[in-house]
Amino acid sequence: MSDQEPTPQVKETPPGVTLLNRREFMTLLLGGGATMVLAATLANPLDTFARQILDNPAREAHDGDPNYKWIMIIDLSKCIGCDYCVWACQATNDTTDAMRWNIRVEDQTQLGVKFHLTRPCLHCAHAPCVEVCPVGATYHRRDGLVVMDYDKCIGCRYCQTACPYNARAFNWSERTDVNPRAPEWGTPEVERRPRGVPEKCTFCIHRIDAGLAAGLMPGVDEQATPACVNVCPVNARFFGNVNDPNSTVARILRTKPTLRLREDLGTEPSVYYIPPEGLL
Amino acid sequence: MNATAHPMTSPAVPAAPQRRGVSARFILWLMLLIAMLTVGAISFVYVMIHGLGVTNLTDELPWGLWITVDLSSIALGAGAFTLSAAVYIFRMRQYEAIARAAVLVGFLGYSSAMLALFIDIGRFDRFYHPIIYWNVHSVLWEITMCVVLYLTVLLIELFPVLVESTPLKKIGVLVSFSHLLHRLMPIVAVVGMGLSLLHQSSLGATYGILTARPFWYSPSAPVLFILSAVAGGAALTLLVTLLSGKLLGREQAPPNIITGVARLVGFACLAYLYLKLWSWLATNYYSYVPEQQIGAETLAQYTPYNFTFWFGEVLFGALIPAVFMLWGRLRSNRNALMLACLMIIAGLVINRWNMTLSGFVIPLDWSPGVGDIFPINTYEPALVEWGVAIGIVAYSWLAFTLAVRFLNIYPESRPVGAAPVVVEHLSASEPGHHG
Repeated sequence: MSDQEPTPQVKETPPGVTLLNRREFMTLLLGGGATMVLAATLANPLDTFARQILDNPAREAHDGDPNYKWIMIIDLSKCIGCDYCVWACQATNDTTDAMRWNIRVEDQTQLGVKFHLTRPCLHCAHAPCVEVCPVGATYHRRDGLVVMDYDKCIGCRYCQTACPYNARAFNWSERTDVNPRAPEWGTPEVERRPRGVPEKCTFCIHRIDAGLAAGLMPGVDEQATPACVNVCPVNARFFGNVNDPNSTVARILRTKPTLRLREDLGTEPSVYYIPPEGLL
Repeated sequence: MNATAHPMTSPAVPAAPQRRGVSARFILWLMLLIAMLTVGAISFVYVMIHGLGVTNLTDELPWGLWITVDLSSIALGAGAFTLSAAVYIFRMRQYEAIARAAVLVGFLGYSSAMLALFIDIGRFDRFYHPIIYWNVHSVLWEITMCVVLYLTVLLIELFPVLVESTPLKKIGVLVSFSHLLHRLMPIVAVVGMGLSLLHQSSLGATYGILTARPFWYSPSAPVLFILSAVAGGAALTLLVTLLSGKLLGREQAPPNIITGVARLVGFACLAYLYLKLWSWLATNYYSYVPEQQIGAETLAQYTPYNFTFWFGEVLFGALIPAVFMLWGRLRSNRNALMLACLMIIAGLVINRWNMTLSGFVIPLDWSPGVGDIFPINTYEPALVEWGVAIGIVAYSWLAFTLAVRFLNIYPESRPVGAAPVVVEHLSASEPGHHG
């Protein structure tokens, strides 16, 4: 430690300018640079390695089939705002009114024509929620779907902050309620999520995975198709594998003009909308 | 000002821990802190039992007071890396007089932040997950790792102090370990500086990288965060040094050290203001980005954002205190110096609050229609949120009080009578004054 009493000092330079000499400065600079380069080089292999040894083995079983790419098309010119898709989703995925995965809003075009917009999770290819999650609890399956590992999540809510579409609902409290839409609109098919984690639409992966395993085709066979798509009374929702050029969704994308929400953000959503008249 | 010696001042041994009789004022202070801690503990347990549903946070505005506490305490702990760097990297050995205090403040800041984060995450039982599950692309992961590592650095820097002034010094192994650590300190300081430069800025990036929210999205956010942390961290270290000295009737650090830190704070404030000015000019004045403009109008209309930004953050938070810090006549007045430190700290906390709230208050608009269908989001912390925040603040104040009392935090501290009261013109080299 320093001396008790500052010794009388005659200084040519004011105190505190004994900076690094050139060699030390260069060492520091090069050392710092080398560390950064090393970190940048190692980041990805390390991450892959960490994933391999630490990943939840149960996840592998539900990691999706890379041969498929699931998309949803919602025809806003058909939608009548009946809320059936909202309620069927609530019954099937067991959500409260405050935590809906699939919501409806009413908006209008430039000409003042009202239209209904329903919004599930958009399953973005460049999903901000996936990019910001500190523990990788939200991730892309091999079929492109954005899903949650509820056992990994720490509940920091950065995904909610980053999502441009408000597509996530947080479990602020322990659930003790009775499902508000069952059994009229379906029965819960998935486990309730615990307190302290956010949740979101999965495109009903439990149906997709079980359906594919049983030889059914999601988007064609109801059992393998998301509840919101099945229930729509005006057939405004379509679901399917866009990798298959003969699928309904691929055909619609080829033949009709569609838009995606906030395309300017580059998130590349998997949900396409057929606009109502006067919107494009 | 410094002439108001503490009534309990006794001819204490200068370098010894500043232990003396217990005054009524000290007891009152402790009782206040313990009351605050109790409120905090009750709130903490209440949230742990009932979950985050008892807060006023919502899906649209999921971060609030606790994130502000967390961001502020990390920024205010930044004095540790600034002064460690000064002492161990830039060889300004004389700043050792205040470096220990800076490290202590840093440790308390970072541990406070950890407490705030612990209660803020929905699954506190999984607080260790970022360490074993890596998402290297996440700026929050990088922050978590840096903060954990940096807390370790601070512990290493604090360990010798702890051993030196407690009964631990009787344990030979600890003493030699502490000596080893002390020898390694330059390396530890470099590591600490690297970690600080990373996470202090990435805390700003937490908001700055979010393209979905144009009001936040900004390349200047990370740099503004670290500049304000350099100013705020050193300002807090300076404030507690001056304040504890005033209350104890001591000169905690030589006057030239106080002057040096004050000037650092002043220049950091100016650098911050320069970048902040250009950041504002580029995004709000010279350009027209509709969402940015609409966002600013929304904030001006529904929140005190404009007032708090210009007066809280800019004028009283940085500009006026910078004048205080850099104008010799004002700087030599200890009360003015403390006031300036307080203004900077308040400005920083207001800035972190504004940063957090602004991006959330402005609603996201993801519908392709033109209707104004998304409501403005509002937030006022719930009582229980205030309770937790009060508890965390009390923790750091209590720990600091006890540390100054029982540990050798200011190695060059001496009774006021033994040191000159006048602190003018110090930069022009002050010869030794007493003895």
